[in-house]
Amino acid sequence: MPVTESQDTKSATLTQKPLELILARNLMSALSTPAFLVDEGGLLVFYNEAAGMLLGKPWEELGTVGAEEWGRLFGPFDDGGEPIPYDELPLVKAVRDDRPAHAELAIRSTDGHPHRVEVSAFPIQTAHGSRGAIAIVWPTAGGGSFDGASA
Amino acid sequence: MKAKLWGTRGSVPSPGPETIRYGGNTSCVGVTLSDGSLLALDAGTGIRNLGLALPDEPTRLHILLTHLHLDHIQGLVFFAPCFRPQTEIVIWGPASPGASLRDRISRYISAPLSPIEVRELPCDVSFRHTPQSEWEIGPARIRAASVSHRGPTLGYRIDDGEDSLAYIPDHEPALGADLDTLGEEWISGFGLAEGASLLIHDGQYSDAEYPEHLGWGHSSLSHALSFARRTGVDRTVLFHHDPMHTDERLDELGAEARERWAAVGGDPSAVELAVEGAELDLRAPAPSPVVAG
Repeated sequence: MPVTESQDTKSATLTQKPLELILARNLMSALSTPAFLVDEGGLLVFYNEAAGMLLGKPWEELGTVGAEEWGRLFGPFDDGGEPIPYDELPLVKAVRDDRPAHAELAIRSTDGHPHRVEVSAFPIQTAHGSRGAIAIVWPTAGGGSFDGASA
Repeated sequence: MKAKLWGTRGSVPSPGPETIRYGGNTSCVGVTLSDGSLLALDAGTGIRNLGLALPDEPTRLHILLTHLHLDHIQGLVFFAPCFRPQTEIVIWGPASPGASLRDRISRYISAPLSPIEVRELPCDVSFRHTPQSEWEIGPARIRAASVSHRGPTLGYRIDDGEDSLAYIPDHEPALGADLDTLGEEWISGFGLAEGASLLIHDGQYSDAEYPEHLGWGHSSLSHALSFARRTGVDRTVLFHHDPMHTDERLDELGAEARERWAAVGGDPSAVELAVEGAELDLRAPAPSPVVAG
């Protein structure tokens, strides 16, 4: 029996998320902490119910959106109220650099209310390389709002 | 393509008068491809009888391991072709960040657990990590993908002509997930099983037993049936029977499975429990699948 390896992966595999993302989503679904998940290309593929409450829009309603649309909807913004470039977000940096990343920033929920938060993101590494990244979000210690974010 | 079930039991061999009909050997399925060549899926104790049934002649065999839990490799050192110098055996299995497939299997085939070492096997044996892309063995296209279980674990799909077999014997796709509502791309194993002629799938627990075994890596009857319905397979064989399940208990679970399948619009003959020694012809006319919803 000859053995050959083909690059012709069938369409069925292309519809399937990697198991590591599936398990991450399942875990995040059980957490009360806001959490976000991106794939290996940096595309947001899921956020949990707690994140939906923070943003004011559940994942089921929003679905996958591009970077520009995400920025228009939610920010995030830096201390000066300036939008943070998509490439500088902890999640995107974690995927791109294969390194953990952390930041304090402000996001704006759909009702226009700003929320100061800390975000920690880490890459999902497997035997076959990076699969994406997870970000966990916490309210900034001391709370408070960030006026510039609602501008 | 044809499949023969040489071992249907999960966890630990369970021989005895109370398991004589469904069998007590652990996971092993022999797959005969369209050109007559043979693949073995897993190497539980069932592979011993598979080996005894093979002719003593030069040959090349492929063994596809889903994972390295003992009930899936225990039969390797009792597989007669391993002791024939004229036999070439290729063992495929999951990669791990810690050690090679050969080194991990050698932990079992070595002292004090085994009287022989891998290097002492008379056959020509090699070990290969399954590739991420599809590969071919003879006339078949093989695909492996990680699935939800404890530790690095694969499911397999074998396509040979019009026939397709999905083999996912240890699988808990419903862990933290609602299989009835989840998007299909988020269901573990979906891409392997989608539209398969035959699905051989974990069905270890009854629904009542499952809560006591949450996270152990196996499916309840309801979860296995939901997975079969969502993936739109033609025929489902529930596999990896719990060692505590007697023939009488499995008869009850089989009847329950058929009733539930019929209740969602399926042909009850399209769902069955794995029986050791059973031969499954994938060319046989397929019952109508349940429309996934």
